[in-house]
Amino acid sequence: MSACLELTDLVKKFGGLVATSGVSFKVEQGESIGLIGPNGAGKTTIFSQIMGELRQTSGKILLYGRDIRRLSTPARIKRGIGRTYQVPRPFREMNVLENIRVGLMPDNIWKMVFEGPDRDREEELALSVGLSPGDLLRTPAELSMGDLRKLEMARTMATEPSIMLLDEVFAGLTKGEISQIGDLIGELRDDGMTFLIVSHDLPALEPLVDRCIALDQGRKIAEGPFDEVMRDEAVRASYLGG
Amino acid sequence: MAVRGRHLALWGLFMAGGLLLPLLVDTGIIGRGTLRTIIMANFLAIFAMSWDVLSGRTGYISFGHPFLIGIGAYTTAILTRRFDVAVEYSIPIAVLVTMIGGAVLFIPALRIRGSYFALVTLAFMELVYQLVQVIRPDLTGGTRGMSGIVTLTKGAVQGYYLSFTLMALLGFFLWLLMKTRLGTALSAIGMNEDSVAGSGLNTTRLKLVAFMLGAFAAGLGGAFYVHYLGSIAPRALFDINFVFTIIVAALIGGAATITGPIFGAFFLTFLLEYLRPVLPGAERYLIYGGIALLVYMYQPGGLHKILEVGLERLRKRANP
Repeated sequence: MSACLELTDLVKKFGGLVATSGVSFKVEQGESIGLIGPNGAGKTTIFSQIMGELRQTSGKILLYGRDIRRLSTPARIKRGIGRTYQVPRPFREMNVLENIRVGLMPDNIWKMVFEGPDRDREEELALSVGLSPGDLLRTPAELSMGDLRKLEMARTMATEPSIMLLDEVFAGLTKGEISQIGDLIGELRDDGMTFLIVSHDLPALEPLVDRCIALDQGRKIAEGPFDEVMRDEAVRASYLGG
Repeated sequence: MAVRGRHLALWGLFMAGGLLLPLLVDTGIIGRGTLRTIIMANFLAIFAMSWDVLSGRTGYISFGHPFLIGIGAYTTAILTRRFDVAVEYSIPIAVLVTMIGGAVLFIPALRIRGSYFALVTLAFMELVYQLVQVIRPDLTGGTRGMSGIVTLTKGAVQGYYLSFTLMALLGFFLWLLMKTRLGTALSAIGMNEDSVAGSGLNTTRLKLVAFMLGAFAAGLGGAFYVHYLGSIAPRALFDINFVFTIIVAALIGGAATITGPIFGAFFLTFLLEYLRPVLPGAERYLIYGGIALLVYMYQPGGLHKILEVGLERLRKRANP
């Protein structure tokens, strides 16, 4: 059986800067993998290449064994990848339900016009990520950073992904919010969701991942169980400054 | 963004009121001059709504809207005046040709955004302005334009009924369409296009729909406008003041609302008309620019938002 997601020798160059340098790894269905490394290690660049927001210079990206390099971002999303961003990107003048509505929309103009929104599903998704009923009609400006991240999770889940890429999902959150998001990821994992999680918050990340991949200056420097990667000399030198 | 009964009732009232308005002319409450001013406001509202669908929603600001209006106006003018095509055929053809123009205007939007896109659209308008003057002036009338174009109405009352019916039906159609999920998706593009793509939607197709819809409305408005006036003058049509009047009407009324540009168009047309006796020259534009700036600074959502907030306060006061 092929892996859920497989990256082979992925390279991304911005002029003379090599942002991703021959990175390869596999993600199996239902697995949760942490992608760690210092700032500028290339974690977000890898996410952007998987989503098709950045074109790789060379290398392969396979989703369930199928080469997706030529697919657009919406086409990749239709095939089951979803992503959240380091800085949440909500639709600022829309309320929570309307934001989720965009994620739930079919990519078909006729259906957009002639079929109404599924308000029950919008509400269900909002509540399932831990937003309160009082938040549903609030605009992003009225939400905390934790709620914005929940909203982004809900909008991503609305596209029905089988693999979610979470970028700095704990950044700017309080301890309580970290715990809520952690619980949500745990619940989704129990339902069979596959995760690739970028985070600088290692204590929060540890219980959520099966293994870790450490990057430094665009290269993969270690891969394995969380503890093992943390003990790795190269990781300590680059990431932990040890 | 749902369609509520009270919204439909307001549209019904607006249409009924509009259709009954000419009765006041006979009673002497309003003059034919005022009716002519309303006709101009109706056409400006059509142009402002078409700009609103294209630019107000998606955030792709067009400074070259007369490019589309001009295609509609010139196509039907040439077909009827030079080739004796009946108006009932020339107007649909003009609308179709304008939609093709909308697709052409869309091409730069595939690669550029923001001020760069706005400048390219301005260049489109300038290009057509120069082209109609030098290419086949025997068809376009060159710098002098064309006159003697068949008119669809006689007198202010008929002109009013034509322009109002067109504006109200087009406005209702666009308003209804923008209340669907398509309207939500187009608004989302204006707020964050990358997030729309990140939600699995094909933004290129959505933008193309917005451009075609905007072109449809601009072409329809342009074609009927020329058959109302009976003439076409390139200098007045492809004028930067005309562009800004359309944009300011949409913004002052409230962009991305459809109904806002109608308020804005009426507000601006009457403001300019009432200022005419006091300030007959171009300095009137200074006054309207200043008022537009004040409204926009006070409430970027425009008159539509001011009205909405006011009504909400009244409702809260009535039901605390």
